[in-house]
Amino acid sequence: MTAEAKNQHEGLPGDFAIWIFILAEMLAFGVLFVAYAFARAHDVALFNASQETLNRTSGAINTLVLITSSYFVARGVDAIKRDLSRDCAWWLGATWLLGAVFIAIKSAEFHEKFSAGITLSTNSFYMFYLALTFFHFMHVLMGMIILAVVIVKARRGGYGSRDHAGVETAASFWHMVDLLWIILFPLIYVIR
Amino acid sequence: MNANFPTLIWLALVALTLTTYAIGASDMTGSGAMLTVLFIALVKGQMVANYFMGLRHVAPGWRLLILGWFLIVGGLIALAYKLT
Amino acid sequence: MQYKSQAVAKPYFIAAIGLFIGQIVFGLVMGLQYVVGDFLFPAIPFNIARMVHTNLLIVWLLFGFMGSAYYLIPEETENELYSPKLAIITFWIFLVAGALTVVGYLFVPYSTLAEWTGNNILATMGREFLEQPLITKVGIVIVALSFLFNICMTLLKGRKTSISLVLVLGLVGLAVFFLFSFYNPTNLVLDKYYWWWVVHLWVEGVWELILGAILAFVLIKVTGVDREVIEKWLYVIVTMTLITGILGTGHHYYWIGAPEYWQWWGSVFSALEPIPFFMMTIFAFNMVNRRRREHPNKAAVLWALGTGVLAFLGAGVWGFLHTLAPVNYYTHGTQMTASHGHLAFYGAYVCVVITMISYAMPILRGRAANSNKAQVVEMWSFWLMSVSIVFITLFLTAAGIVQVWLQRYSDAPMAFMAVQDKAAIFYWMREGAGVIFLIGLLTYVASFFIKGETKAAA
Repeated sequence: MTAEAKNQHEGLPGDFAIWIFILAEMLAFGVLFVAYAFARAHDVALFNASQETLNRTSGAINTLVLITSSYFVARGVDAIKRDLSRDCAWWLGATWLLGAVFIAIKSAEFHEKFSAGITLSTNSFYMFYLALTFFHFMHVLMGMIILAVVIVKARRGGYGSRDHAGVETAASFWHMVDLLWIILFPLIYVIR
Repeated sequence: MNANFPTLIWLALVALTLTTYAIGASDMTGSGAMLTVLFIALVKGQMVANYFMGLRHVAPGWRLLILGWFLIVGGLIALAYKLT
Repeated sequence: MQYKSQAVAKPYFIAAIGLFIGQIVFGLVMGLQYVVGDFLFPAIPFNIARMVHTNLLIVWLLFGFMGSAYYLIPEETENELYSPKLAIITFWIFLVAGALTVVGYLFVPYSTLAEWTGNNILATMGREFLEQPLITKVGIVIVALSFLFNICMTLLKGRKTSISLVLVLGLVGLAVFFLFSFYNPTNLVLDKYYWWWVVHLWVEGVWELILGAILAFVLIKVTGVDREVIEKWLYVIVTMTLITGILGTGHHYYWIGAPEYWQWWGSVFSALEPIPFFMMTIFAFNMVNRRRREHPNKAAVLWALGTGVLAFLGAGVWGFLHTLAPVNYYTHGTQMTASHGHLAFYGAYVCVVITMISYAMPILRGRAANSNKAQVVEMWSFWLMSVSIVFITLFLTAAGIVQVWLQRYSDAPMAFMAVQDKAAIFYWMREGAGVIFLIGLLTYVASFFIKGETKAAA
C-alpha cells in the first residue's frame, strides 16, 4: 500500500479491506450474541439447565489460550517492525500452535456433546451453543490458514520493518477472533 | 513499544479471565455477577483492541467503533437479562 | 476493441435485449390479467404468461452474463478467446433451444410438452422457475459446459486477475447449482429444500459474484482507478456475499418443514445480506469520485451507479423488509415478495448486464462511446425504466400490505380473491408503470440507432 493510501486509512494496522471485513464480522457476531440473549430471556430455566452441562473449565482454558495467542501475535508484529524476521516467524508459529490447542479442546467438547446425542434440534440453548461456537471455530481455522501463509513468507524473510502489512493483516484478523471469544465465553459459559 | 508492557497487559488479561471463571464456578448469580462479567469482557476487549491490535495509534473513530460495539452488544445482553 | 474474439459478445448482447423485450411484453400481459382475468384467455392463460415472463428473464440474463464473460475474459487475460467458433455455435444452440421452449410453452399444453420431452424418464418439470422440459435442461447443461470450457481454456493460457477468477467462480457455481434442478425427490419438503439450492444460491449467491466481477471490470475501465484498489473491494464484497448468502438460504426454510433453527439462522444471516450490496454502492460511488479520467461513455457510468443504488434498494432494503421470520410469517408469498423480486432483479442483474452492454457495445461497433445525442437518449431510457420499476415496486408493496392486512393479520380474514379485488387499484397502477417501463425499454433500443459524431475507439 502506498504511503498516501495508508494515510487515508488513518494508519490502520494491515490492509484496509481486512478492517471492513472485521467490522462486518463483528456486526454478524454481535447480532447473534444479542439473539442468544433474547432467546434466553424466553426460556431462562431451559438455558440455565443446559448451560450446566457445559464444561466451563475447558471454556476458560480456551480463553487463556486465545488471549495468550493474541499476545504472541502482538509480539510477532513488534518483532517484524524491528526487522527480526526469525523472531516474528517464531512468535507467529507459537500462535499457530495455540490455535491448534484451541481447536483440539473445542473438538473434544463437540465430540462429548455429539456422543451424548445432542444436535442443533435438541433445544434452543444447544442450537445457539453449537452454532455460535462452531461458527467461531471456523474463524479460528481460517485464522490459522492465514497465519500459516504469513509464517512461510516471514521465514523466507519476505517482510521487514518497511513492509509488514501482511503480518499486520493476519494479526488483526487473529485479534478479532480473540475479541469475539472474549464475549462468547462469559455469554454462553458463565452468565446465568 | 517497551517489551514489558504487552506482557503486563497479558498478565492482566489472564487475571481477568480467571476472575470471570471464578464467578462462574462460584454460585454467584444475579444482576451483579452478570454486570461484573460483562464489564470484565469490556475491559478485556479494550485491552486487546488498543494494545494488542494497536488501535491506540489509529484515528479515534476506530477505537470508538470497537468500544461502541462492546457497549451496544453488552448493553443489549444486559437488557435481555433484565427482561426475565 | 483490443481483441478480435471479443466480437462474439455482440450477438449475445443483441439476443439478450431481444428477449428482454419479450419478457416485458409478457409481463404486461400477465399484469393486465391480474385485473382483467380473462384477457387473452384461453390463448395465453395466466400461468403460461407468468412462466414465459420469468423464464425469459433468466434466459436473457444468462445471455447477458455469457456475452459479458466473452467480452471481459479476453481483455482481462490479455489473449484471444480459446475458440470464438465454439462461442458462436453455443450461441445458436442456446437461442434455438430457448425459442423452441417458449414456443412449446405457448402452443402445446404443458402436460403434452412434458410427455413429448421425456419427463417420464426423469421428472424435473412443473416446479416454479424450473419448468423447462428435460431436453432443454440438458441443453442448458451442455451450453454451460462448453461455455465454461471456452472461458477456462482462455483463462488458463493468459493473465489471471482477481476479476476473472471471481467471474469464473461465479459461473462455475451457476453451472454446479443448476444440477440440482435434476434432483426431484418425491418428499415435498426435500424437493423444496434443494429447489432453493438452484433458486436462492443463484440469485443470492453465485450471481452476485458475477455481478461484482462485471461491475468491477467496468469501473476499472471507466474510472481509471488502480486495479489493486478495486480488486480489494471485490474480495471483501465476495466474502461477505458468500457468508451471508449461503447461510441466508435459511430464510426460505421457515415454513417448508425444515428444522426450526432455520428461523434463527435464516433471519440473522439474510438480514445481513444487504451489507455486501451496501458495500457495492459505496464502492461504485467511491471509485467514480476518485476517477482519474473522464471516460466519454457517460451512459455506462450512469448504469454502473444505478446498479449500486438500485441493487441495494431492491435486493438489500426490500429483501430485509420481509426477511425476518416473525415478519415473514405474515408476508410470505404475498405481493411483498413480488415487489422485492422486481426491484432486486432489475437493480442487480438487469442493470449490471446493461452496464456491460452500454460500455462494450459502442466499442464492439468501433467507437469509444456513442454520440452525445445517443447517450442522452440512453440516459432517458435509464431514468424511464428505473423510475417506473421503482413505482412498480411501490405499488406491489402497497398491494402486499393490503393482502397482509386483510387476509393474514386480520381477526376476520377475507378470502384470497376478495382481497385481490381490494388491491385492484394498485394492480392497475402497476400496469401503468409497466407501460412506461416498456416505453423506456423501447427508448433504450432506439438509442442504438441514433447516429451522431463519435470518436474512434481507443
